[in-house]
Amino acid sequence: MRSLQVCGAGRAGDGTNTNISMLGQVLKDLGAWTFIWREEVYSNIQTRDTAFGLRAADAPVYGPDDQFDILEAFDQGAFLDWTGEGRVPPLARLRKGGVVLYDTSPRLEYPNTGHEVRPEQVEGELRARDARLFGLPMGRMAKEQFGNYIVRGTIALGALAQMLGLPEEAFVRRFARIFGEGSDLFRLNLEAFRAGLEHARAEGWELPDLRLPLSALDGDERQLLLGNEAVALGAIVAGCRFYAGYPITPASEVLEYMAEKLPSLGGVVVQADSEMAAAHHVIGGSLTGARSMTATSGPGFSLMQEAISAAGMTETPVVIVVSQRGGPATGLPTKVGQEDLNETVFGGHGDFARIVLAPTEPEDAFYMMEKAFNLADRYQCPVFVIYDQMFAQSTYTTPPLDPARFVIDRGKVVAGPVNGHNGHYRRYALTEDGISPRAFPGTPGIHTIYANTNEHTEEGYITEEMVVRKAMVEKRVVKRMALIQRDPDLPPPRLHGPADAPIGFIAYGSTYGPVLEAVERLAAAGQRAKFLALRTIWPFPAREVRRFVERCRVVYVVEYSATAQLKGLVQREATGPMPRKLRSVLRYDGRPMTPGYILQSL
Amino acid sequence: MTVYTPEKPLTAAEVTGPGAWWCSGCGDFGVTAAFKDVLVTLVNELGIPLERIFVMSGIGCSSKEPEMLRLNSYHGQHGRSIPVAMGVALANPNLVVVDFGGDGDTYAIGMEHFVHACIKNVNMTLIVMNNQVYGLTRGQASPTGHLGLKTSSTPEGKKVRPVNPLKLAIAAGAAFVARGVSWKKKELAELMLRAIQTKGFSLLDVFSPCVTYHREPGYRGSGAIVDWYRLNYVLDIQEAWREMRDQVFSEEERAHLPADYDPTSPDAALYALRLIEEAAKMGREVTGLLLVNESAPTLEEALGVSPERAPALADIAVEANLEHYQRLLAELR
Repeated sequence: MRSLQVCGAGRAGDGTNTNISMLGQVLKDLGAWTFIWREEVYSNIQTRDTAFGLRAADAPVYGPDDQFDILEAFDQGAFLDWTGEGRVPPLARLRKGGVVLYDTSPRLEYPNTGHEVRPEQVEGELRARDARLFGLPMGRMAKEQFGNYIVRGTIALGALAQMLGLPEEAFVRRFARIFGEGSDLFRLNLEAFRAGLEHARAEGWELPDLRLPLSALDGDERQLLLGNEAVALGAIVAGCRFYAGYPITPASEVLEYMAEKLPSLGGVVVQADSEMAAAHHVIGGSLTGARSMTATSGPGFSLMQEAISAAGMTETPVVIVVSQRGGPATGLPTKVGQEDLNETVFGGHGDFARIVLAPTEPEDAFYMMEKAFNLADRYQCPVFVIYDQMFAQSTYTTPPLDPARFVIDRGKVVAGPVNGHNGHYRRYALTEDGISPRAFPGTPGIHTIYANTNEHTEEGYITEEMVVRKAMVEKRVVKRMALIQRDPDLPPPRLHGPADAPIGFIAYGSTYGPVLEAVERLAAAGQRAKFLALRTIWPFPAREVRRFVERCRVVYVVEYSATAQLKGLVQREATGPMPRKLRSVLRYDGRPMTPGYILQSL
Repeated sequence: MTVYTPEKPLTAAEVTGPGAWWCSGCGDFGVTAAFKDVLVTLVNELGIPLERIFVMSGIGCSSKEPEMLRLNSYHGQHGRSIPVAMGVALANPNLVVVDFGGDGDTYAIGMEHFVHACIKNVNMTLIVMNNQVYGLTRGQASPTGHLGLKTSSTPEGKKVRPVNPLKLAIAAGAAFVARGVSWKKKELAELMLRAIQTKGFSLLDVFSPCVTYHREPGYRGSGAIVDWYRLNYVLDIQEAWREMRDQVFSEEERAHLPADYDPTSPDAALYALRLIEEAAKMGREVTGLLLVNESAPTLEEALGVSPERAPALADIAVEANLEHYQRLLAELR
């Protein structure tokens, strides 16, 4: 795989997200596979250091590489840890011979006006990297020619287009789509783009060594999707028509996408007064028969534990998306973590059946939502879809997605009058497989659907009698988990690499791409390695993991957790301690895992 | 909606559950009896089929309500029946949603949900059986317990002032605010029916005395606590209006005031708040119908759901929506 990696670094409010996103869209239109991530974003709207990363490749790409080929510096924060907090500035990740495109103007707007870009302050570092410097007075041009400081980013795009040989028409098409053809913003951005391009051309700037060999695809139907959008879209196609949520990073894009799209499909989105309320709204929605979902992150997920237990006890199907960030407590709201795996697998008080699915990338996530809703209905239990900030808030080019592949299975549902015991429908009727057919309120002739969070009889009435209690526990958990375990719809782990390779990796979530590349690089260096990417976490795929580990000399479990929660699950459910064979690659500084980070940790 | 006539008239016995949960003389029996009368009216006279009625509850003595009935219902956790009820009401507006809670359930652990349900004006009825104590955990003081109330958790008398749910509901914009008493079944049933028929969020707080744990000095023996309420605590809104309008309102204001308290008056919220305040000065709590105001849009209306456009009844077949889905994908290219 050949790839080009660009970082746009500035201060929150400088438009680095827009700058990098537009460049990514254009490269995708030209045939590249792209991955855009938040290299450095604080829980802050304006003023803190911000950097967005873009990787464009000639093959599907699922994560960042270690170093940047190009650094766009809109602020001195790109070069320096001006806060003195121990921050690692993007310059530290510029490769040898890398390119720096920087603003030579003083800071003309936004706070911290003293932070104009001054390469002379980092001369030694730039020289050590053999950096190629390109100074462009983008701030002054933006202010003086266009009266709009924010178009600095568009001027930079013009210069990059010239340097990388990207056709102007590709940018014009994207500007038209984003701003509306002929609109004031369209003209403004086009003129700013041309100003940057003209400047670079006049200076004779060319970077032939960084040009990707790209060719646009005929009838390109690939999507650009945030992880969160892939999940929301998959949920919609799976028939989710009731969504409740509370804003929280990094899950808010699910709420936002649903709020925009569900109403025109006859669905409803309610912004709840807390995650506690949201999860209970979702139980209510599901009781009526609507496929119902919520999404959250660490602090909100803790608030949902009570409702999760209620869904388990009442056998109400709900889908709960857990988009993890660094914890504990408020932790790192905008940065990656995988510290809520234990809470997902073991949270909610009491014993009940549950399913935990873990998408590896957006295409996987989209189709996995069909399984999530079908499994929830089939087994009448909470289904979790767990991932992390790097997946949730990164934009991936995905192969064309096909909604027609979805098949909807509502499980056992009663559609008409039922004469059960005493002529009444019994919500918790004891059946052979332990699954009682559901009925939805409003079904003619049925007025005894009683869902109860207390231990209950077949009719749903409270009981504390030992015989019934035992039968209900067995129906709800013991039989149910045994059934679930055999379900062919549980996404199996993906195995990459030769089956007899001695070095193994196990991971879930956004580390998928970085681990894949680490395995490839090991292979290129003559070391045979393989990778088992888990896609169902619960019921734990113990047999597959055991078999995988047995055939390895050493297995690295890669995760964003200081206490190695995934490795703990592997040991508990599949292998036992195996201290010599099972090792960890951990990252808990909130920064993205890269192939190099993984290889250095071995 | 199709007009529905039951094959044979519903009787209260048909909706009576197997539950046996309350102490002899408990006020909650009165609430249940009134509600069964309302069910009979809803089905036999108002054409609402039984299957479209959905009852909820949380935790506490009062929340055993679904146990006493035989209806589509959800018995939730402490304080959490309201958000579940909101979900049911929003997902299928064809249903009549009635949520039963207690005073601890609603005004302590469920307060967040209660206030937001009023603000959001979701179309449902909340009936709170208010008895000033946590009966099921053996009689600790609840948020509505009056100052000085002696209980197992307030041995020297309650020192924290009580919450006034009626004021909260009015301030938060509930469409219907009333207080009933469990010992007057006919009037309580009328309030319940009106609450259910009101478009928007209805709060019906009901004094439903705890005969076991609510003790007042000088009131001993079966039924005595009801006497305490009757003689010392409650004040009917109409009576309050007649007695207090001269003290509360200026002569100029009085010239425009009707003889009887009118809960549908555009100024009912202000009048009710002032009467509640005045009554409190005398150590009294008002009862009766305080407010009916259907002018605000319901959450269902605000979010574009209706009986004809119920999320629960949406066609989710992939083929039926494929074009729409393809458009969503095209936006992301």
